Amino acid sequence: MKIGKILIVVFFVMMLGNPLLAQISPGELAEVHAHLEGISNCTKCHHLGEKVLNENCLACHTEIKSRVDQQKGYHASSEVRGKECFSCHNDHHGRKFEIIRFDKDKFDHKLAGFELLGAHAKKTCKDCHKPEFITDQKIKDKKFTYLGLNTACLTCHEDYHQNTLSKKCDDCHNNDLFKPAPKFDHKKAKFQLLGKHQTVDCLKCHKIGTKNEKKYQEFGGVKFDNCVNCHKDVHLNKFGQDCKQCHSEESFHTIKGISNFDHDKTDFKLEEKHKTVACKSCHKTNLTDPLKFAKCTDCHKDYHNKQFEKQGISPDCSECHSQKGFVGSSFTIEKHNTGTFKLEGAHIATPCFECHKKQEKWSFREIGIRCNDCHEDIHKDKIDPKYYPEADCKKCHDVETWKKVSFDHSKTKFELLGAHQKQSCKACHFPKDSAGKEQQRFSGIATSCITCHNDKHFKQFEANGTTDCKRCHQFNNWKIPTFDHNKTRFVLDGNHKNVACNKCHKEKQIEQTTFVQYKFKDFKCETCHR
Amino acid sequence: MTKSVHIIYITIMVLIVILSFSAIVYFGNSYYATSLEERFFHENHRILEPKGMWGHGLGIFGSLFMIVGVTSYMARKRYRFLSRLGLLKHWLEFHIFLCTLGPALILFHTAFKFGGLVAVSFWSMVAVFLSGIIGRFIYIQIPRTIEGRELSLNEVRDMKSDIGAIIKSSYNLDEESYNKIVESTTNASNRTGSLGEVKKVLKKNKLSKEQYNNVLKLVRNEISLNRRIDRLVIMQNMFKYWHVAHLPFALVMLIIMVIHIGVTVTFGFRWIF
Repeated sequence: MKIGKILIVVFFVMMLGNPLLAQISPGELAEVHAHLEGISNCTKCHHLGEKVLNENCLACHTEIKSRVDQQKGYHASSEVRGKECFSCHNDHHGRKFEIIRFDKDKFDHKLAGFELLGAHAKKTCKDCHKPEFITDQKIKDKKFTYLGLNTACLTCHEDYHQNTLSKKCDDCHNNDLFKPAPKFDHKKAKFQLLGKHQTVDCLKCHKIGTKNEKKYQEFGGVKFDNCVNCHKDVHLNKFGQDCKQCHSEESFHTIKGISNFDHDKTDFKLEEKHKTVACKSCHKTNLTDPLKFAKCTDCHKDYHNKQFEKQGISPDCSECHSQKGFVGSSFTIEKHNTGTFKLEGAHIATPCFECHKKQEKWSFREIGIRCNDCHEDIHKDKIDPKYYPEADCKKCHDVETWKKVSFDHSKTKFELLGAHQKQSCKACHFPKDSAGKEQQRFSGIATSCITCHNDKHFKQFEANGTTDCKRCHQFNNWKIPTFDHNKTRFVLDGNHKNVACNKCHKEKQIEQTTFVQYKFKDFKCETCHR
Repeated sequence: MTKSVHIIYITIMVLIVILSFSAIVYFGNSYYATSLEERFFHENHRILEPKGMWGHGLGIFGSLFMIVGVTSYMARKRYRFLSRLGLLKHWLEFHIFLCTLGPALILFHTAFKFGGLVAVSFWSMVAVFLSGIIGRFIYIQIPRTIEGRELSLNEVRDMKSDIGAIIKSSYNLDEESYNKIVESTTNASNRTGSLGEVKKVLKKNKLSKEQYNNVLKLVRNEISLNRRIDRLVIMQNMFKYWHVAHLPFALVMLIIMVIHIGVTVTFGFRWIF
């Protein structure tokens, strides 16, 4: 009995002395399970008689159970299926025991439902398994967990595209590099890259923009229904917005559908002759290369070879020419009259080429303003230069007509009087020769009447070898109204006064010349009377 | 059991203990040296953990060895029908063997985790083990019969031979030498270095080597016996108190061990069964 009492005392002293009184736990629980310490909690994990059952673990770890039930995640994988939880997640090994520990380098992440490829394989677990990437608040609140991540890229990665593109990142990107997006095929995009577009740097169209105060490259929402969405409309909308009517993707400078091109929409409207000109005549390089067109000479050669240049500047062709052609000119007489040579009289009706195209080429400068610069001096050597010094036609002619001559004939030895004044110059100065051709004759003309006139009297009145008509005739009237027969050697008296002239002065023909006989060999009666 | 058989018997038991201990240390050194938090991840954890194939086995066999060692020795001492089965001394040696091997195995079964209720059992075991060593020391100090029964003070005194008469009759020693030898044995408990003086005396008498050794042995036994007689009462008292410590700790150990086994079985750990 004595020993028995001592035994009981010793037993309880030892029990009291043990800080883990009534503690049947084989060791401290890990920190995450620390709240389960205590004898009353044993059966929360341990099933009496059956060790620790998975169902006990999953009763608390519902998030794992949920995934296992859904056949998702590592715990639903073939590597874990059928295993007991405690075979990996043991406990009672002290507070600091890592209840979740595995060889991170050898862990086959594929079993977790997300194979680590490319850049992902280079990351550490904590790069991804962190609260920021977990959406479920319950899981997020855990000190550390491998749960709660989603395989969707954007749950970890920032949406660089700022919600402007699909959330299926792997349609374009792979696991190696975010940039470039090797899986992206522009052929699958609504905008096909053709021609030059295939070599254009992405940034040219997909510019760096800012959204939510963050820079990003615009891929979604890039307008492409019209070329001008990206390209500057150098035509300033003159040709409308459908660039493809003329341009192709091959090159901006390669023009297609030129037949449809309406040049009138350009700043240079094609009119008249320009309409028939081949494009290449003006657009010698590319059709799209800018051309000067403000002045005609921007395209046309100055045919006149700077003849109109003033102070180094040639006037535009359009001052004289129209687009109907270079033949013909809109240079008016009024304009001509502002020059040194006014067009007057007959010159007005004179075609330009008469003066300006004496040679093969047109000439507008220094062609002279003197008459004989253009006109032939037909009087040269015919008229004494003293009557038209320096061959100045205007001394006699004016610009109205050649025929009208205003020459003071009194300056010559032969003043024109009477009927002579009424005669044309030609009558005396351009007598016709035997062939009927006019022969100019100004000099060497005698002043005697018979120089010009025929002696109709057949030398009846010749005296001393000459016939002076003026003895009977006057310049004013050839007929002799005041002829006093009584002053002749045969005075008319008696019945002779009433006798008609032609009764005595009858026509006579000698050598085929008919003339009135005024002179008689005598005045005998029988000369006339029978 | 002849002396040589006894030596083999002892040697085998010692070897078993040493080899078992060494083998476990060799095999489990790496695991046991690993910190508690890291052990789970050790390659040998599944084998050497307390509930592992080996670890659990060590516990079961360690416990069985101790239970057998204790109960058999207690039964040998208490039950009359076993009193003639072998020498008590050999039973004690077997008890010591099993109760040394058992705690050694238990030590490794714990994997050096000494927490919880079962720690009480463990430390009780340690106490029993240490007290056993002390007890063994006390035990030797008490002269016993060849069966191991304790001798009373009178029986011990009767055991004493007359060393003076033996030496005087068998060996030719001078009177002075004889007196010195007898004196050294009678005062042995009070003096140190008396055996050295005996050796000097014997050398002076120029005894043969055999004679020299025989005399020396006689003197040693005489001195030992004299000392035992001197300490016998003290030792007998100490031994009474020792039992108070040794046995209760063993019982505490066993009770908690039973609880421990009950708990483990309850929680589903059944080793190979």
